[in-house]
Amino acid sequence: MTTSEATAENLSMHVTFVMRSHPRYLAVVRATVGQLAVTAGLEDSESRALVLAIDEALANVIRHAYHGRSDQRIELECHAAAGELKFRIRDSGDPPDPTSIGSREIGCDQIGGLGTHIIRDVMDTVSYRTSPEGNCFTAAKRLRRQS
Amino acid sequence: MDIEGDVDLGTSPDLRRALFGLAGEAPRLALNLQALRYIDSSGIATLIEVLKDCQRSQRQFVLFGLSPAVKEVFHLTHVHRIFQIFDTEEEAVTQA
Repeated sequence: MTTSEATAENLSMHVTFVMRSHPRYLAVVRATVGQLAVTAGLEDSESRALVLAIDEALANVIRHAYHGRSDQRIELECHAAAGELKFRIRDSGDPPDPTSIGSREIGCDQIGGLGTHIIRDVMDTVSYRTSPEGNCFTAAKRLRRQS
Repeated sequence: MDIEGDVDLGTSPDLRRALFGLAGEAPRLALNLQALRYIDSSGIATLIEVLKDCQRSQRQFVLFGLSPAVKEVFHLTHVHRIFQIFDTEEEAVTQA
């Protein structure tokens, strides 16, 4: 993990994780993303929702791109600047199924798709891109201006 | 039954095994979530599975002691509407 910080006046933080696709690392990511979100100015409940969304995106990579294999590479970049928090997740697993990454109506007792719903509900922008180099998930959360 | 710590992709299979082990026997299952710090969609999915299993066999499944953080996840996923949720164990016992 690497971190950098510029000035408090114009917040700029960048955190990069390069990790194996093992669920044990999720708790480390959650702790760091939570701290990053609070430092960037999100309220506690917004911060918790953001942590959940990023956790769900990583869990999707482990579950669907790598089919539960725990020894594959995942790269997560977190960037706070210019009034928003941006996240980029790269993996080299199977590409996401286009029919499963769209948001769906929930509120009943269906089990599938909860994670994707959370991501789309919490984040302001979400996109998926697949290339010969692998899969790339990007998402952003806007920060409200501090008074 | 008390659930504590974090329930995520890594730990939800353990929760599932524990709950299905209990749910197979008890006519009524009450989960104390007071010490649950974190739950993700895999944990919520596990609870839904147990709920559906209990409904099929006409057994009762209730939750109590949810922290504000855990309540937020239930509301975010809209599943608060399908569970019987109480603030305290006493309420879960007397009102369920």
